[in-house]
Amino acid sequence: MESGLGLTVVVFLPLVSAIFIFLIPKKQEMIIKLVTLGSALLTFAVSLIVALQFDFNNAGDLQLGTKVSWISSINSNYEIGIDGISLPLLLLSTFISVLAIIYSFEHLPEPKNAKGMMSLILILETGMNGTFVALDLILFFVFFELVLLPMYFMIGIWGDKTVRSVSGLKNDIETRLYASIKFFVFTLFGSAFMLLGFLGLYFRGNRTFSIPELIELGSSGAFTGTFATLVFAVLFLGFAVKVPMWPLHTWLPDAHTAAPTVGSVLLAAILLKLGSYGFVRIALPILPEQAVAWAPAIAVLSAIGIIYGSLACLAQTDLKRLIAFSSVGHMGFVMLGISSLTSIGINAAMIGMVAHGIITGLLFFVSGSMAHTYHTRDMERLGGNMKLLPKTGAILAFTAMASLGLPGLAGFWGEFMALLGAYNPLPGLNITIFRSSMVAGAIGTVLTAGYLLWMLQRVNLGEPKEEWLDKELHDADNYELVAWIPLVILTVLIGVFPKLIFGATNDAVIALVSKAFGG
Amino acid sequence: MAAITLDILLPRKFKFIIAMVSILGSLFAFLPIIFQFANYTTPEIMFEGSYVIDKFSLILKGLFILVTYLTFLLSVNFVESDEYYQGEYYFLLLSSLLGAIVVTSSRDLLTMFIGIELASTPMFLLSGWKKGDQKSNEGSIKFFLLGVLSASLILYGFSLLYGVTGKLVFSDIANILIQQDLAQSPVALLSAILILAGIGFKISIVPFHSWAPDTYEGAPLPVTAYLSVSSKATGFVALIILMSKIFFESGDGLGIILVFISGITMFVGNLSALQQTNPVRLLAYSSIAQAGFILAPLAVANITNNFEDGVYASVTYLIIYAFMNIGAFLVINLLQRNIDSENMYDWGGLAKETPLAGIFAVIFFFSLAGIPPLGGWFAKFVVFRSLLSTGEIFGLSLAVVGAINAVIGLVYYSRISKIIWMDSPKEDVQKTENSIIPSPLKVVGFVSLILTIVSGIFPGIFSNLGEASSIFFNS
Repeated sequence: MESGLGLTVVVFLPLVSAIFIFLIPKKQEMIIKLVTLGSALLTFAVSLIVALQFDFNNAGDLQLGTKVSWISSINSNYEIGIDGISLPLLLLSTFISVLAIIYSFEHLPEPKNAKGMMSLILILETGMNGTFVALDLILFFVFFELVLLPMYFMIGIWGDKTVRSVSGLKNDIETRLYASIKFFVFTLFGSAFMLLGFLGLYFRGNRTFSIPELIELGSSGAFTGTFATLVFAVLFLGFAVKVPMWPLHTWLPDAHTAAPTVGSVLLAAILLKLGSYGFVRIALPILPEQAVAWAPAIAVLSAIGIIYGSLACLAQTDLKRLIAFSSVGHMGFVMLGISSLTSIGINAAMIGMVAHGIITGLLFFVSGSMAHTYHTRDMERLGGNMKLLPKTGAILAFTAMASLGLPGLAGFWGEFMALLGAYNPLPGLNITIFRSSMVAGAIGTVLTAGYLLWMLQRVNLGEPKEEWLDKELHDADNYELVAWIPLVILTVLIGVFPKLIFGATNDAVIALVSKAFGG
Repeated sequence: MAAITLDILLPRKFKFIIAMVSILGSLFAFLPIIFQFANYTTPEIMFEGSYVIDKFSLILKGLFILVTYLTFLLSVNFVESDEYYQGEYYFLLLSSLLGAIVVTSSRDLLTMFIGIELASTPMFLLSGWKKGDQKSNEGSIKFFLLGVLSASLILYGFSLLYGVTGKLVFSDIANILIQQDLAQSPVALLSAILILAGIGFKISIVPFHSWAPDTYEGAPLPVTAYLSVSSKATGFVALIILMSKIFFESGDGLGIILVFISGITMFVGNLSALQQTNPVRLLAYSSIAQAGFILAPLAVANITNNFEDGVYASVTYLIIYAFMNIGAFLVINLLQRNIDSENMYDWGGLAKETPLAGIFAVIFFFSLAGIPPLGGWFAKFVVFRSLLSTGEIFGLSLAVVGAINAVIGLVYYSRISKIIWMDSPKEDVQKTENSIIPSPLKVVGFVSLILTIVSGIFPGIFSNLGEASSIFFNS
């Protein structure tokens, strides 16, 4: 057994740094920021070293991990490891965290408190990295939940302070307070039941929480009947809330709109992936029979999500809310790919996740920064952004193009291949449902193009409104550009060389599919 | 060996003048427990089976002593600040501790009854310790009346058992019940229900919970903390012993009653807690809901006869719950020092004044809500685990109820953190400058903090205790 040292460092270095930051006096803001950045950079560097050590020829195997006894009385272990499926997501997580911290150097919303924000980002990073490497259900659960507290406080403390009325509540409430608790309650609701599902697997699966062992059991048909249906249902609940799939998505637009820029970026880029990753890592391989049974339902829900997300986007006047709903649509493509249960579809989901992380992350960076500059997210009032803020405008235009799936950019592969997967799902699945979902998805791509172009037209093009003319507006500064340009470059790179992702994922996905579904 | 423990406890009763003696004494009493635990080989049986020292009792004795120690530390500033009777205060708490310690080892009806009453009688007095305060008097009278009622119910139950079997020691009673095929008879069930009702008051499960919010609100805060942790644990220990030593063959009826009580307790506690504005009342209802969680594994164990998992879960929950709940009371105490209002909605932005209390609030309240990586998650987890262990329908339903309640709980547990961290300060509320936290309170905070976090990240340590207790308990 290998030591798993690299992965352990990637997971826990941020947490240790966060504790360290607690000890630095609040006034030493620059030191706090530099320590945070240093820690995140180091984590990223270690994750790159891990990627170099990774044996891409055996990407289907779990590598570089370890297994140490953790809670012996329930036979839960500190079992970690990565394969081609988790590696890209792990890198994405460590990378986006660095960019988020760079962006936060100069762009902390009120109340500033760099110490609080930086330590929350680091704790969040531990949770995200941990989820991607955990190979024990309980360990997975702990990391999966670890992200809740930091994100709750990030939204609640630094979030949008405008007061709004919420149907069902007597008094008006600040957006941030409503959104933060809604996010928390929705996710906990899903994961509380998910935990019951994990326990069910534990008791039926020879009292083990080890994911690889459960996969072995699952693919040999150990979990069947009502029991398996129930377990898949609760796992579905836990993961689908996080993705989020329609109709469990309602927390997402609120959370995204209310969250500070960094929060939105991390939420969109990484946290949503925890859900879809859970499907690929846990639900599908451990309960393949149920996955087949549920696949049509998932496909239909995904298709509804795509159409619903796009239509909702067309109705938005709030820039951040629009991007939030676009996430519902994009994650719909990811889930559509997964539901096809073919290697093409799941590969599509993998590249879709990474691409969505990069592109939507960047969109939230840009829109957050614009909201900060203009003090409004109302698209009716914006306009002529290209003339007012040429750099920001250019990046916004580029990202919107990437987001609508322009060939040659990263977003294209996920959508295109998900549709391909849905056209030809795993043999035995109801072909009519999948082809209809595919058609719905295709209509969705058109709608996506529609709302993004319309958004560009309203925000970026045209003449600036009068209210902006006499104001001094700051275009993107260096911190912003340092955070954004790498994402632009990655978007192009992955668009042109999708093999960057597929090289890692393909073998792992084929191994998964052949083991679980024999196809 | 019990004598060692008692020897150290008894002299302290006469040296009650100074708080220091009590505090050091309770810390000192911890040592023999550790030695005994380390050198443990076989259960020590004394007085013809009436008094047994096994790992179960040692672990819980350790818990009670530590909790009392923390309560003393919480009390120092309180007792000194208002001119209360100091000596009696410590004496009464120590008597209560002695009662709790006796309960953990008692294996016959008399010893157990004496233990239970010794543990709870001093609390009647202590809960009325704020003499001039109407609420305190009201709460203590309520507590006293219901407490006496509960004592008589327990006594009825015990005397029925004695009348039927003619024995006092639990193992003899159980043997006779089984031999004469009385285990599932109406008499045994009736006595079980009477005892359950009596102990139900102590552990504040629905429908015997109504005293708790008033008494908690009126009592001095350290006493409330002790009530909600130690008194409750004493009741649970008694219940665990009785259930698994006498009523283990009593059939499904009792278990089903317990399952319903447990589920309803969770709902009533949580839904009522949602509406509270006074933080102490909120914690009172929260502790009712938590009692539902602690009871759940026992209830299901009664149906499945899987006492090993049930006791393991309950004991682990009790241990973790003790520290996070003391921490939660500490938080209320710290925050109240800074503001002149008992309505927590007036506490907006308080965390900026006392960041340490703010961080404590986050840790302890979210731990109570069961959010990883804080200790509470593991407590809830072992409960769910024992509920699902046999896949039996009652356990399954109770687990679903528990999961729903965990979500409801989050809503109000997050509220205090939300108010003090996210809300803006209210202008019309009087603030008192009190930024220095007395060191005893800091000790309480950090001890509970470390235990809460360690039990969340390395639950193995605590679960080994729970496991040890459950295994040796059944032998």
